[in-house]
Amino acid sequence: MMATIALLAIALAAVLQAGFLLRRENRRDPISHWLLAAAAALLVATLVERSIRISFVAVTDTYESLVFFSACICVVLFALRMAPKTRGLSPFVLFGATIVSLALLAVSSSPLAPRDIAPPIPALKSFWLVLHVTFSFIGEAFFVVSFVAAIVQLASVTSERRAEMDRLVATAIGIGYPIFTAGALVFGAIWAETAWGAWWSWDPKETWALITWLVYTAYLHTRLVKRLRGTTSAILAIAGFVATVFTFFGVNFLLSGLHSYG
Amino acid sequence: MNALLGNLYRFFRSVKLAVVLILVIIALSMLATLVPQGMPDEMYRARYSPAVYALINAFGYQRFFGSAFFLIPVLFFTVNLGVCAADRFITRARTRAKRRYGPDLVHIGLLILIAGGLVTALGRHEVALSLVDGQEAALASGQIVHLVSFQFFKYDNGMPKEWISTVRVTRDGREEVSSFPIRVNHPLRLSGITLYQSAWNVTGTLTLTDAEGKEVSPQPGDYFEQNGSRWEFTSFEQAGDAWAVSFSRYRGTEPAPIETRLLRVGESIGPFAVKAISATQSTVLKAVSDPGLAPFLAALVLLLAGLGLTFIQKRGDNPI
Repeated sequence: MMATIALLAIALAAVLQAGFLLRRENRRDPISHWLLAAAAALLVATLVERSIRISFVAVTDTYESLVFFSACICVVLFALRMAPKTRGLSPFVLFGATIVSLALLAVSSSPLAPRDIAPPIPALKSFWLVLHVTFSFIGEAFFVVSFVAAIVQLASVTSERRAEMDRLVATAIGIGYPIFTAGALVFGAIWAETAWGAWWSWDPKETWALITWLVYTAYLHTRLVKRLRGTTSAILAIAGFVATVFTFFGVNFLLSGLHSYG
Repeated sequence: MNALLGNLYRFFRSVKLAVVLILVIIALSMLATLVPQGMPDEMYRARYSPAVYALINAFGYQRFFGSAFFLIPVLFFTVNLGVCAADRFITRARTRAKRRYGPDLVHIGLLILIAGGLVTALGRHEVALSLVDGQEAALASGQIVHLVSFQFFKYDNGMPKEWISTVRVTRDGREEVSSFPIRVNHPLRLSGITLYQSAWNVTGTLTLTDAEGKEVSPQPGDYFEQNGSRWEFTSFEQAGDAWAVSFSRYRGTEPAPIETRLLRVGESIGPFAVKAISATQSTVLKAVSDPGLAPFLAALVLLLAGLGLTFIQKRGDNPI
């Protein structure tokens, strides 16, 4: 029920943002980010309720992961909208990332992500797993922002807008990258060692997480070290997010491995 | 000679080279996930056409991450990373540039991580120990592991909740660990060797009597036909303090059973009555010695410290 209300709140936020975009006034709507904050609170409450019912942190199945990911995006958008430097967060980026959050929540309501509450199997009962999942999704929430900003950058006609988007892409990846590294690779490897006795197995999920990390590593080296700006770095940011999405959905549904828990 | 070394140094310190190698490793890793890695040969033979199977075998595709196709770019990347890290130190010392230790820590952490991976690949040993209650096994490190008890807990829905192998460890008759519950995610770390809860098994004998009193002993997977469907003996199950057996009923070629029954001694199914069930539950512990674990953990600490430091310094330059 709470997740459904959250979905409606995010949908309403998207409608408001779209309305302001269509009026072409270049003004930021004053409400939608508060709706996103409320949606995030409801989604977190959904997970808290499920956590109490399974006596463990509820981030162990696809439904819970999607809800958490969506909540993270809402929190990140709210934080960027409120942060002094990014208070003027482009309405296009806000709208695009809101749509991504809405899409994830819509998938969580589909048969692809059953809502049945199931207690975790032994392999999933680990503090390291909780750190692995939460940090990975927080990092990926910033990658969502970078992805949308990179698309806006490529679609922009003015050089000021392109430069503004380029900075936003770099900022979002600059924050998301260390968090994602800690979650997906460091905590993930520690969990694997504790659970299976092998810190790296070249399991498809591990390999795709590494691919994602390498794409963003390439982005940071081109953007921050070689000072490369423009189309190439925007394309790398988009490729990074495509790899992120494939790591989450593609591997779960197309490839099998240690991360297949049914 | 010096000119050659100078050229090599300039070649390997290049960030452009790093980016190209990263892109090559990305492309190779993507290719590798198209074929399941490290599976038995029969799996590839059954899954792929003879032509594709021959190609997989010819290129060592089933062990791609250990093949030269992957390891040579990784070797170049490692040299590139090492030279870049050294070059950063040298350049900073010469120019007295702003001190940025974050990326250095990340680079050193990655080098140690790759070294740890190599040590693990060459020196990791893994042995499976199958034990029943009261049984013991010798470890390569000289200790003896005694299985005190193995317990298997399930949730109400039948899903596994916990496997607990309580063990005692001795060396030369002296007790090193008096009692330790090994669970998944809760391994026992001894000096140089770690014991993980890996799997469990049930082996047993089921004795049935048919309508004429004749005894039969089916194995899991055996079945009999009744009214157009078949009843298959699926498994031994613990039912309280006693053992029971599970039979599932299938219709036609449908993969899912239409009915499942749990039978104890004295109960009947079709023309058969359960006369006796004897079963033994065993745990499978995995004993792993991995000399690459210590460098791996050190590398992670450096990696996290480096990323954190880089983030803090960058944020100081350009606060959000």
